[in-house]
Amino acid sequence: MGIEMFEKPLGMRDDFPRIARKKAALRNNGIAIMEASGFELIQTPTLEYYDTIGKISAISEDALFKLLDNQGNTLVLRPDMTSPIARVAASKLLKEKMPVRLGYSSTVFRAQRREGGRPAEFEQMGIELIGDDSFYADAEIMLIAAELLNRLKIGKIRLVVGHTRLLQLVFERFGLTDEEIGKLKNALVSKNRVAYEELVNAFTMSDKQQEELKALTAAASIKEWEKWIDLDHAEQAGLYEGMTKLSELIERNGLNDTVTYDLSFSSHMTYYTGLVFEVYGAGSGFPLGNGGRYDGLMKQFGLQVGATGFGFRADRLLEVMPEQEERKLQTLVLFTEQTEEQAHAKACALRGQGHNVTLQYAPAVAAIEEFRTLFDEIYDVN
Amino acid sequence: MEELTIAMPKGRIFEEAYELLAQAGYQLPKELDDSRKLIVEAPDERIRFILAKPMDVPVYVEHGVADLGIAGKDVLLEHDRSVHELLDLGISRCYIASAGLPGTKLDDVTPRVATKYPTVASHFYRSQGEQVEIIELNGSIELAPMIGLAERIVDIVSTGKTLQENGLVEYEKIVDITSRLIANPVSYRLKQDRINLLVSRLRKQVSE
Repeated sequence: MGIEMFEKPLGMRDDFPRIARKKAALRNNGIAIMEASGFELIQTPTLEYYDTIGKISAISEDALFKLLDNQGNTLVLRPDMTSPIARVAASKLLKEKMPVRLGYSSTVFRAQRREGGRPAEFEQMGIELIGDDSFYADAEIMLIAAELLNRLKIGKIRLVVGHTRLLQLVFERFGLTDEEIGKLKNALVSKNRVAYEELVNAFTMSDKQQEELKALTAAASIKEWEKWIDLDHAEQAGLYEGMTKLSELIERNGLNDTVTYDLSFSSHMTYYTGLVFEVYGAGSGFPLGNGGRYDGLMKQFGLQVGATGFGFRADRLLEVMPEQEERKLQTLVLFTEQTEEQAHAKACALRGQGHNVTLQYAPAVAAIEEFRTLFDEIYDVN
Repeated sequence: MEELTIAMPKGRIFEEAYELLAQAGYQLPKELDDSRKLIVEAPDERIRFILAKPMDVPVYVEHGVADLGIAGKDVLLEHDRSVHELLDLGISRCYIASAGLPGTKLDDVTPRVATKYPTVASHFYRSQGEQVEIIELNGSIELAPMIGLAERIVDIVSTGKTLQENGLVEYEKIVDITSRLIANPVSYRLKQDRINLLVSRLRKQVSE
């Protein structure tokens, strides 16, 4: 099959004016919220080396758009924003020892295999706080994520929070090998509770232990997590105490009803090393965004520092945002050869008063009557 | 109480799953006379059933137009959809196997396998180190070895009667299949209380 004239590469879309306008409004809203919390906007290159960002990004190889530069190096279209920002922050942190707060609103590229219509280029909006390994940083990120959704007036939302490291330690408590833990995590990442339970049933351990492991998927609050935590184990106790304090902080900010603490929650993004969360909103069948702590990623840039952040998908936010049609009035000024000068002056004056003005040479429009219906106010300068 | 939408495959699985829900204590309409209906309401429970093609159930659930669904593991394996697989319902038990004419081997030059499950078949033969050409068919798979299109087929076997009637024998069992309760990832979180309750009631019923 050949390529049709109006066709675009698989997963690429034109954003028509109405969508483009909504996107711009969303972006401005998002940037305002980021800046209000001290996160500065940053832009990174569209193209990156495959050997650096391509490999670090935790996006599966077949989803990368690859190309060659004129020196034969393999490049990728940036598949995520967290890894490039981690690189920027790392180079800055090598010189200065202080937390870096960065925000972005950029498109990322992920090749699609199925159904063609899914976007392969989409806008992501998010923040990264690098150089702070305390739970206060995690809480800050979660609160800003919730604030963003609140400001966008998204109705019903839920944040699901897990902890990659604690889950690993809990699995180790049951005396499981790395291979067994890997399989359990895979089942959790693919959201397959049936496979998880089948794996547990096949382990050689007491029935009681099997029941405990299976019940892990049902814990929904920090209090309930305690059943699986060994408080005599220094690292577990420390992390659990942090999570308890974080949940209290979240509760003080009135978000308790929108947060579920699910110890079994696991992300497909392999670079998360501590707290992880995903955000859902009524109106979209897909998660709106996700975030978490990725200290391990910083290690790849040679730094032992804490890093945490979140990213939202703009297209999904647009889907769940209530329709807020605050379109400015559109004014049309039509002119002919004789009236060009007056029309121009009129348009300038109207624009000066804050109107959106389209200036059009009338004889050039074939469907003039239909064209006029597109505007709220019309001036025929004769 | 929030409304729950459940996508169900038409036919036998629907009846079995419907029965299972009724046994789990859900008040569902008894008479389902008009079998051509695509939507069945259970107003007492605020549950709505969508009747779909089995292969389409995970699609409805992935996109969130159905909160829950009942889908065969065969369909879930064939199309990797982002849904929660919550419970093995243990109904419509069968398995996927390879079959062919008795005493035959895969052709050395052009080994061909006909199937309705190209992903499952391709994965299976690759894991065996066999390089085969997969031919996707939409039905009457048993025809393929009989008329020389392929040496092997990969298909669902429940009693083995269809294979037998067409003079075919089973070669390798690939994977066991049962129906699963699946959930949309967003619904699973936003309607967690209702869904968890349904899962625990069904789980009790299934284990009995």
